[in-house]
Amino acid sequence: MRLLSEARARLRGFLDRRGRMVGINRRNLTLVYPNNARRDYPLADDKLLAKERFAAAGVPVPETLAVCDGLYAVPGTVEGLLGRSNFVVKPGNGAGGVGIIVVGEWREDGSWSRAGGSALTTTGLQRHLADIVFGVHSNQLEDRAFVERRVVPHPLFAGLWADGLCDVRIVTLRAVPVMSMIRVPTAQSGGRANLHQGGLGIAVDLATGRTFRAVHRGVSVARHPESGAPLLGLELPGWPEVLEVARRASAAVPLGYLGVDVVIDRERGPLVLEINARPGLEIQNVNGVGLGEAMARAGVA
Amino acid sequence: MRLSDSRRVALAIALLVAVPLGLIAYKLRALGYSLVDVLPVTQYEVAYVLQFDGHGGDVRIRTFLPSNDAHQVVSEERDVSSGLHLSQQVQGPNRVATWAGAEVPDRAEIRHSFKVLSHRMVFAIPPELAVPPSYAPSVATQLRPEKEIQVDAPEVRAALRRIGGDTGTVLERLRRIYDATSALAPRPFKGTTDAVSALRLGEGSCNGKSRLFVALARAAGIPARLVGGLILAGGPKKTSHQWVEAYVAGHWVPFCPTNHHFAELPQHYLTLYRGDETIFRHTAEINFDYRFESRAVLVPSPKAKASFTVFNVWGLFERLHLPFTLLRTILMLPVGALVVVLFRNVIGMPTFGTFLPALLAAAAGGTGAGWGVLVVLLVVGAVAVTRWGLQRLELLHSPTLAILLAGVVFALLVIAMVAERFGARSLANATFFPIAVLAICAERFYLSLTEHGGRMAGKELAGTLAVMLAAYVVMNSLALQVLLIGFPEVLFLVVAANVFLGRWVGVRLSEYLRFRGLLFRGGGP
Repeated sequence: MRLLSEARARLRGFLDRRGRMVGINRRNLTLVYPNNARRDYPLADDKLLAKERFAAAGVPVPETLAVCDGLYAVPGTVEGLLGRSNFVVKPGNGAGGVGIIVVGEWREDGSWSRAGGSALTTTGLQRHLADIVFGVHSNQLEDRAFVERRVVPHPLFAGLWADGLCDVRIVTLRAVPVMSMIRVPTAQSGGRANLHQGGLGIAVDLATGRTFRAVHRGVSVARHPESGAPLLGLELPGWPEVLEVARRASAAVPLGYLGVDVVIDRERGPLVLEINARPGLEIQNVNGVGLGEAMARAGVA
Repeated sequence: MRLSDSRRVALAIALLVAVPLGLIAYKLRALGYSLVDVLPVTQYEVAYVLQFDGHGGDVRIRTFLPSNDAHQVVSEERDVSSGLHLSQQVQGPNRVATWAGAEVPDRAEIRHSFKVLSHRMVFAIPPELAVPPSYAPSVATQLRPEKEIQVDAPEVRAALRRIGGDTGTVLERLRRIYDATSALAPRPFKGTTDAVSALRLGEGSCNGKSRLFVALARAAGIPARLVGGLILAGGPKKTSHQWVEAYVAGHWVPFCPTNHHFAELPQHYLTLYRGDETIFRHTAEINFDYRFESRAVLVPSPKAKASFTVFNVWGLFERLHLPFTLLRTILMLPVGALVVVLFRNVIGMPTFGTFLPALLAAAAGGTGAGWGVLVVLLVVGAVAVTRWGLQRLELLHSPTLAILLAGVVFALLVIAMVAERFGARSLANATFFPIAVLAICAERFYLSLTEHGGRMAGKELAGTLAVMLAAYVVMNSLALQVLLIGFPEVLFLVVAANVFLGRWVGVRLSEYLRFRGLLFRGGGP
């Protein structure tokens, strides 16, 4: 009799937890489809379109140095960058960090040093821009390339991962932040912050801005598996501003369910890097909390 | 989600279920459709293969061909013989075939093939039936002794008395004769054994036991005759088989004392002739050799086809001279797609696109599932190799895909060459695969490889193969195919299932694993 009631309580607990978790079917049917119209997807997929909206709404974004919207514009774009240091070249419609080049110092021999230390010649840059406008990195017939000032991450992030950029992913529902995490690249992930590529996820408490959990390759960890840097109990600088930037970015586009990626620049503070109209569900594992529960806590369920 | 929304969905599903179920019920009740006949039946593909050396002279070969009766229906008879003329005549109950030719060379061959649909026949002999005092003259001939059926031999008469076969009802006598003959020790086939020899030896092959049965039955006053034929399936063989028929109340009732069938003719028996005959007679000194080939295949029941009368797509396709395979492929595709949806949205198995596994399964319907798997691996291998070769050139997307297609075509050509070179003819099956399906497969694999990397592409490949196999099993079910042909409205049920799955927000099976920490421990991993 007691066993039976115990089993019943367990089952109820399990069903309850399942109800608070969001799977792909539920995400698509109850979050993505009702809140994100398909015709608005380009606003999330095309980083330049998103930046235009953000600029108009006063959402801080990394400064755009140049836009290269065709083969004809390639020489002019390179010309304008000669002598300049610390910028990033991106395809407008790239996904998963493909086609992004991080450029460091301008060198006296007329080339740049890349983030990994190798050299980038002017011809190399020309070729890369041409590839982007040809759509090589976006599986399209054509694309636009743009050049951004390189973000100098806040020391807290630089301490987590020196060679690349950590960002804060904030999931918002109708402009209300619901859940957040820091995505940290690892050597294993090839410098990319995507969790399924081996990146590290650190859960951030929405109310306090403190990190309370970290997950790497599905396993809960307390330190960075490579650098050994402690990951828990960190306090994110200017957390209320970070949330505010995410709110404003969400409100600037007609997409209701979003993943907003924010970086914290040493000088400029929080900047919106990009938005995603179908943010992944791994954030639940990182936080140890189902999205359903998080939405209820945020009052948007 | 608004209530009216889910109501609308529920209403749509209810309609999509009710309409086809109503139609099915109407067809079964009012139009005489039969659900039982949806099940496929076994058809045997039989061939006589006769080989001989004519030495440039005259050759005559005589044998028996099967006739249609209540037990068996023969169709699609084809004769391929090297320069011999086939003539047929009916002799009593038998269809006699004679091949004749002049100046027949050595190593001549006759291949005579046909298809057989047969039923198991079971007879009930009335227990009270007494042996009648006389028979019609045509039947009475089957009471007389023959050269190797020594009805009047004293030993036969004595044996009949000993087993009690000379008294009682027809059923009692036949039962005793059957028991006595089927109890004889078996003996491998060694030419002809006559009735008396079988009795003396206490053993017999099929023809010895059958002759003794006929002799005893005739002695007991029941007309009986030998039946010659084949036991079908089980590959090529030289042995024919003999059993008997006894005349009971106006019917010739079959018995096989060798394989223990009492008043029963199994489905896989093929009757060729009746009477004590020799299956082959031929010109002497021609080094004659023969074999019987038979193969069992499942085919749609002709009864099902005959009962489908309304909106008969089967007949429509026949009138348009479109093959049956095309019809079933078309009808089964939505079913295959539903299988894919189940695997993707309920199990959470990644595949290359939604239709590709179903298309691959449909294509594999012509060659077999194994070939499907092999061809997909071949295409994937060709894509991987070609991509590796192209990587340094950094080409644009579309030209790359065009080159990949060329790579796939080359791989198919190489397979065909290998097939010919090493005599593995069946390998050439790979080239039967629709190239359009393979092209989509190549593109999907390439995209996945480029966008998600080797790991994910490998996962999707494994998923695609698994789902393809599942879809293959479902789509190649002959019973399901005939069901859809007779009741195309079943497709509405498929649509209903998809509407339901389209609104299903449940957790995918794979997500129980992915979020096991959240689900089972109440926290993350």
